[in-house]
Amino acid sequence: MATNPMHQFEVYRIGPEIKIGTIDISFTNASLFMVISSLAILLIFNLGSKKNSLLPDKIQLLAELSYTFVAKMISDTAGSKAKPYFAFIFSLFMFVLFCNMFGMIPYTFTVTSHIIVTFILASFIFVGVTIIGFMKHGLGYLKLFVPSGVPAILLPLIIVIEVISYLSRPISLSVRLFANMMAGHTMMKVFGGFVISLGIVGGWLPLSFSVALTGLEILVAFLQAYVFAILTCIYLNDALNLHH
Amino acid sequence: MLKDTFKTRLEIAKNKLLKKNLYNGKEPASSIGTAFKMSTELVSAVAVGTIIGFILDKTFGTKPWLILIFFFVGVIAGIVNVFKSAKNMQK
Repeated sequence: MATNPMHQFEVYRIGPEIKIGTIDISFTNASLFMVISSLAILLIFNLGSKKNSLLPDKIQLLAELSYTFVAKMISDTAGSKAKPYFAFIFSLFMFVLFCNMFGMIPYTFTVTSHIIVTFILASFIFVGVTIIGFMKHGLGYLKLFVPSGVPAILLPLIIVIEVISYLSRPISLSVRLFANMMAGHTMMKVFGGFVISLGIVGGWLPLSFSVALTGLEILVAFLQAYVFAILTCIYLNDALNLHH
Repeated sequence: MLKDTFKTRLEIAKNKLLKKNLYNGKEPASSIGTAFKMSTELVSAVAVGTIIGFILDKTFGTKPWLILIFFFVGVIAGIVNVFKSAKNMQK
């Protein structure tokens, strides 16, 4: 059981079973780790913004660095018009980052390694961005599907292609995060299993691989949170400024 | 004295921040990210096209034809996706 590399992704119930109709909304280990990461974010940023000293201590520095990092990312990709959406993108980035990072601690559960979690996040973004686009431009937002300078005969085909490419956004966004996290954690588990099965004689080689993989996984955890947030900015930019 | 050195250090750090463009000064690590981004964009468009074809086939009862057509339209859409994001990267 313990050597099964997929065992770590199992979702199980914690506490009593809660049901609304036929829908099971019991508290699971996945919900537990979402709560833990949200609480950790709240704690860090509460402590970080408590005293505004000119020379920041470590927690304040952390809060300020992440603020400027996300603010710069938004202004670089989506321009000044995207300023009102800072709070959303910031909390999205922090949530994904903390879920990924908590998954790196041994014996924890990686929430983002489940496609339903990432897909819900991505579809929220997709629906939200579409609503923002229609609110800003009205029906003119549909111009996104009609590139300029296309001959009239090709237009039906081009519109179908553009619509499919637009609909593929939430899928590519969610699959990317999920696949990266799941593949990485499975790999780490497999190499960890090699260490045990090869024993003290041959186990050193997979052990060194494991160490390297852990470093790589921390990098990937950060990178995927960054990519998730930056793609949200790019989609937002499409909706706000309407050009491509 | 202490305040002065802090101010000059702040100034230097600010200048560094202005000079460094987050996009062009790309570290090699993020090219893994862009490579993976491209591949998922290609695949997801094909998946969406196929799903749309499948649903339309079920509703109109034209069993194999629409799924075939929409599969290839999805492939084209995937290539268009990759093309667009490559263009975005060059900016």
